[in-house]
This record gives sequence, C-alpha cells and structure tokens, in this order.
Amino acid sequence: MRKPWKSSAVSIAIATSLVLAGCSSGSGSDSKNKGNDASSTPSASPSGVSASGFPIVPETIKLKMFTRIAPVNGPFKDMPVFQDYEKLSNIQVEFIEAPTDGFVEKKNLLFASNELPDAIYRSGLTPLEATRYGAAGQLIPLEDLIDQYAPNLKALMEQYPEIRAGITTPEGHIYAIPGIVTLAAARTDKKWINKAWLDKLNLKVPETTDELYETLIAFRDQDPNGNNQKDEIPMTARAGQPGQGLPVVNMMSGSFGLDQQLGYNINIDNDQVQIWMGNDRNKEMLMYLNKLYKEKLLDPELFSQKEAEYLAKQGSGKTGFFFDQTNNNFLPIQDQYVGIAPPTGPNGDRLQAQTSPIARDFGAFAITDVNKHPEATMRWIDYFYSDEGSTLLRFGREGEHYVLKDGIPYYTEEYSTAENQPKITPYAGGGAPHIISDRVASYINPPQVQEAQKQLDPYMPKVKYGAPMFDEETAQRVNVLRNDIDKYYEEQSTKFIAGALSFDKWDEFRSTLNKMGIEELQRIYQEAYDKTKS
Amino acid sequence: MESAQVDAAVAPLRRRSGRGGRLLRQMAKRYDLYLMLLLPMAWYLIFHYGPLYGLQIAFKNFNPGKGILGSPWIGFDHFERFFDSYYFGRLLWNTLTINLFSLLIAFPIPIFLALIVTEIRGKTFSKWLQNITYVPHFISVVVIVGILTVFLSPSTGPVNKLIEAFGGSPVRFMESAGWFKSIYIGSNIWQSMGWQSIIYIAALSGVNPDLYEAAKMDGASRLRRIWHVSLPGIVPVIVILLILDVGHFMNIGFEKILLMQNNLNLESSDVISTFVYTTGILKGEYSYTSAIGLFNSLINLTLLLLVNRFARKTSETSLW
Repeated sequence: MRKPWKSSAVSIAIATSLVLAGCSSGSGSDSKNKGNDASSTPSASPSGVSASGFPIVPETIKLKMFTRIAPVNGPFKDMPVFQDYEKLSNIQVEFIEAPTDGFVEKKNLLFASNELPDAIYRSGLTPLEATRYGAAGQLIPLEDLIDQYAPNLKALMEQYPEIRAGITTPEGHIYAIPGIVTLAAARTDKKWINKAWLDKLNLKVPETTDELYETLIAFRDQDPNGNNQKDEIPMTARAGQPGQGLPVVNMMSGSFGLDQQLGYNINIDNDQVQIWMGNDRNKEMLMYLNKLYKEKLLDPELFSQKEAEYLAKQGSGKTGFFFDQTNNNFLPIQDQYVGIAPPTGPNGDRLQAQTSPIARDFGAFAITDVNKHPEATMRWIDYFYSDEGSTLLRFGREGEHYVLKDGIPYYTEEYSTAENQPKITPYAGGGAPHIISDRVASYINPPQVQEAQKQLDPYMPKVKYGAPMFDEETAQRVNVLRNDIDKYYEEQSTKFIAGALSFDKWDEFRSTLNKMGIEELQRIYQEAYDKTKS
Repeated sequence: MESAQVDAAVAPLRRRSGRGGRLLRQMAKRYDLYLMLLLPMAWYLIFHYGPLYGLQIAFKNFNPGKGILGSPWIGFDHFERFFDSYYFGRLLWNTLTINLFSLLIAFPIPIFLALIVTEIRGKTFSKWLQNITYVPHFISVVVIVGILTVFLSPSTGPVNKLIEAFGGSPVRFMESAGWFKSIYIGSNIWQSMGWQSIIYIAALSGVNPDLYEAAKMDGASRLRRIWHVSLPGIVPVIVILLILDVGHFMNIGFEKILLMQNNLNLESSDVISTFVYTTGILKGEYSYTSAIGLFNSLINLTLLLLVNRFARKTSETSLW
C-alpha cells in the first residue's frame, strides 16, 4: 500500500530512472468499494438452511475462508476434521492459508483492499479491528444469526454471560466470535521448574522471589545436569510479539502485586482502575528481572529467540524454569519438571496474574459482507462449539486418530507425538474457533498439567475482567494512545531489564508515559469498567 | 535507463518538427520509436502516477469499507499527530543520520575501488578483485542479516571469539544501539561496493587514452594522473549517481533495517520507513502512515531539488 506512493513521488522527480523499481504490492485499495453499504445486512432468504441436524444445506455450497496456518500444522485440506465435516455438512470450504509469520500483514491488506473471502477462520481479530471493520460494513453483525443458527454457541453464551459482554460492542453488535475455553487449565501458563535439578542439588521448591533467585544461582553454578559444562539456562521465557507485552513481565507481575485486568496492565482496587506501568511496584519488578539478567540467570536470548527456539529449549532439558500452558513440548522428559505456585514477592504479593478470560481467543471467526450464505456459515462454525464437533476438530476420526476411554477421546499412539499431532488438527498453534472443555482435553490437560494448575489455583485473581469493547471512536482513540505507549513501554522495559537503561531514568520514563497520555487512557478504561459494573 | 535513451533519441525529432502537423508526420514516420516509448510510459502511469490518487487518504480518515473517495476529510490532523508524537524527533534523526553517513562514507568507496581496479597492471589480479568484491551483491538481505547475526553472536560468533582471545569481553553487537549504525553501514559497503564500482570502471575506460599519454609526457606521476585526468573524466557520472542516490535518500534500507531491529537497538534503528510499516500495515493505521510517508517524500523531493541545483551550478552536470 504505502511503498508505491513513496517511490512514486521520488520517481516523478527523477523520471529517468528505473533504478528504484520498488513497487511491490498493487494499488488495489481504491478499485473495489462498490456497493458494500447496501449488502451489509443479510436479507437474502436462507435457501433451505436447516435449523438443526445435518446436512446443513441440501445442495452443496462453496465457501472461501482466510486462515492462519502455524508452522507445526499440515495443510488444512488434509485434516480429517475438514474432510469429514465437508461430507457431513454439504459445505465445501476452500481455505486460503497464510503462515503465522506475516499473517497480520496479509489480514490487514485483505481488509484494506476490500478483497474479502466469505469468512475468516482462526483470524485473531483484535477488538479494534472487529469494531472498525464491523462499523465499515465489511464484517456483518452476528448477534441475530447466533440466536437462530448457533444453538451450541448460544447455550454457552447463556451459561457464561461474560462471553457476551466481552464480545458485544456498545451498540449491541457482535462482529466476531471467540474461541471459548471453559477448561481453566487452558487459560494459564504454568510455571515449570526442573524438579530433577532441585532434587540433585537438595533444594526445595522456591516459595518467594528471593528463594527463586537463590535457586537460579544454584542452577547456574552447581552443574545440575552433571556434564561439567555451564550450559544450563536457569530461566527463560517467550520473546513476545511487538504490541503484545513482554511475556517474562506478564509471567512474573503477579508476584509484585501487578494484576492484568481488562486485558491490559491494569490493577483494579475498590473499583478504581489503575494502569501500573509507571508504578513503583513495576519498577521493583523490572529491577528484580534486571538482577536476574545481569547475573545471567535469565536467558540472554530472552528478547530475540524465535518461538521454535524457545520450544526446543523446553525439550532440551537444559532449562531450569520456564512458562507454558502444557507439557506437550517436553513430553519425552516430562518427569523432570513440576509446576509450581507463583513465588511470593517482596511485599507479600502472590498472584497468578497471567490468565485469560473464558472467551480466550477473541476474534477467532468472522463473516464478511460478501458471504452469500451467512446462515449456513453460522451453522457450519457452530458445530465446533459442541463437544462432538470439538472432538472431531481436535482428535479427528475415532479408531484412526483417537480411541475413547470412559467417553473421553485420547490420541492413538501414532498421533500423540509432537510431530504428528499438530498436523491433523487446526487447534495446534492456537486461536481456532471452538470450545475447549474438559471433555476434549486429554492431551493438553494430562495429570501433570492438572497438578501444575492446582498449584496456581489458590492464587488466581478473584474476578478476571476481559478487554472491554469500545465504540468506534473511543476504540480509535485507545488505539492512537496505545500505539505510542505500548511501543514505548516494551522498548524501555526491555532496556531496563537488559541493563541498557539505568534506573536513574525511571522518573523520565514515568513523565514520558504521562506525556503520551497514560492518564487519558486510564480514564477511558475506568469508564469502560464502570459501564460493565453498572 | 531505457526510457532515458528513448527520450534522448526522440528529443531531436521534436525540436525539428515544432508544429502539430509536422509532429504527427514525424511520429508516423518513426512510429517504431514511439511504440517503444509506450511501455515505459505505461509503467509510470500505472505504477507511479496511478497510486498518487490514493495519497489523498493522508488527509482523510481512511475506512476501507467506505473506500478512498467515501472516507471523510479531516485536514492536517495526521500530520499534527506525527509532529507531536514522541517518536517524531527520533525517527527523523535516525533516518537522516543513517542515510547521511551512508552517503558520506559509502559513496566514495566504489570510486576508490574503481580507480584501484583500473590502475592495477596485472589483469588477472584486477579481474579477481572485481569479481570478489561484487559477488556479495547477489546475496539476499535476509541472508546478509543472518550472516551478521551468526558472525556477531556474543556466545558463538567468530568476532566475539576473537575479542575474547585478545582478552576482551564479548560485545552484544546486534542488541546495542551504539553499534547499530556502524554495522548497518559497514555491511552495506561490503555488500555493494563492488557492484557500484562497475559503472565507474566503465566510465574510466571511456576516458581518452591520449590524455594519459600527454600527462605522462609532461612528467605527471601516477597520483597526479588520477587526480587530473581520471577523476575529472568521470565527474559527470559521479554527479549523476550522487543525485540518484539522494533521490532515494529517505527510503533505502527498509528491509535490512527492519530485519536488524529489536527493542534494544530501536533507539538508533527506528526509521520512518520501518515505522510506517509497523504502524501502517501491521496496525492498520493507513491514513496516519500515508501522512508520514508523504512527509518523508516531501523531504526527499526538497533534498533532490537542492542537490540538483547545486550540481548544475558547480559542475554543469545535472538531471535537468
């Protein structure tokens, strides 16, 4: 979008040169703005869409869906769920797959150029995007369709009212439906510590941040893996995506009294919303992490490693302490690790701040205005919000991919390896629109993970507020403010932790945050919070 | 370059024809030349002038659902937001300094290289030198950044191993704001000096050999001959290339900088083009970043006009 214009102005000036060819993407954004306004409500008669049962439509229809494909996945068309469901529903889905790297870019260009598929699947729309594209008429409102054509989703929304509150705009529209996770253990990252090392060094499980520090030093110095080399990585975490916070901060903040309410760095005290980024507690946490980093207790690749590298470290057995939702990435050496409770911080805080709401994956599925069969599409997706549909999605075919034990599906041996399992299901890699309940969680919630979750349970926040939905104008304002603030916060936090910025600059950091409008942002979140309370 | 040649070929025709009728006759006569001109003209119209239409979203609140024309006008709000932004100063400073240093340091090097290659007597050696220096040009940016990361890695990179061997402590080159510009510009020079020197070598071979003979007769030393014959001989080429370089002054290096960026070196690696990408494409703020891009292009255009005028006054060589 941008590049052609930039190079054009230049090229006009030096009109003789073909040297700066720099034209990559086309200039499609202007060509296709025909008639969206008229078609934003589905008025066409639902041509024979059955209200329940299969097939959904008497005659085969075709739908195009844009989706994200994770590095671990195989092609969607080879997945048993889509092959079988096509026969069952009589709806043929052609997936346009974009790899996780560059997915956001492709998704945005799709909307900007208005060349939309019928639906977007596993789309990871942000609340802002849902509001923006919904208000623009590119996404159609789904609330009525859910009422009539999505019995499973509707039942879930009635059972858990917070789902509806978390996805409905102030105007009362739902533009995207989330992945729903009723299984608590799938909403937290566990704190995995190397029990084998603890035992070998005669240490007990660290209960406080100071003890954690001592433990990590022992991991570093006393050669717990016994190979006479200092190759142990005492502690590591994900590197994180720009704009989504620093994972290591999110994992540790609860020990410093920093909660993560409303989907942001927010504490709620007596109904007062407080954004804590400039708070002294945050300084305390960053100083602690800086201490770990300086002493080489924190992985030096913490800020640069790729997801695949991080997962490989989990399975290598060289790490002492790290964070993940499941044990799936270190299954071959799972006996070495146990999940522990969050350590108590210097002020006595002990909280598992990092936890997602029940509507865990916001914006997992949405229907666009070019879709001629919105009713059928809604019925198509609704199946995955039933245990039966979710089983098909996650486990494939009975006998071939899974066996039932006491009514619960378990992968067969062939498909319970980290290599084969993600190839047959689109849930691996995260963000697929479906229900994750304890009925379909044998793989992600084995006893070891259940045990780790039990360690966290006593320290979960009493109430967890999801990210609020703003009206379009406010959402735009929040976006403007957060673009600057989040970028600044992430960059400076990284520098504080890595020691590239001294804590003498803390006051400057705070005043810059204020200048960027953190108080206005806090006010907006306060108002949104007040609305959900009343 | 094709279009330049065509332009040059057509220009005398135009001058001779003058009035409309005669021009048409001429065009009919030389229709093949005009047909050749069509292709580059279509290129510019479609890819360079056409998109200018979309530039209006810099003054609008672009909403993809409403399209470019349907989005509401909001005037200079996006520009104001950018000028007031915390990042404005840093972005402008980094963009200007990275490019200015590139120009100052990296621009003369291919000229030296070309002089060395042409002055070397042993033909095999000069061919070798030429080939070795221009091979890196063909390596893709992604691979270059990969090479940098591997070589400069604090734990396993040979550079840091060398530093350690001499008793130093490893430097986190890729994660330091202080090192960013040196690494960026240094690797650029390594990659492109050979390729860029080709055009100078070509220009040097066009310098009249009689001039060298005459200078030799007058007893001029080698350095004197370079200074008084070779360099003046290629000044027009140098000036044109300088102007072309200034022409994309504000835009170069986008991919490479983006790949090298991380939170720890952002202080000196955050430039306008990468900011436009991360804010515009990844966060969907098309209008805001169009405004930034437009601002960027305006600076660039100003620079270009200044340099061109300066070149015309001082060296009588310029683009127009």
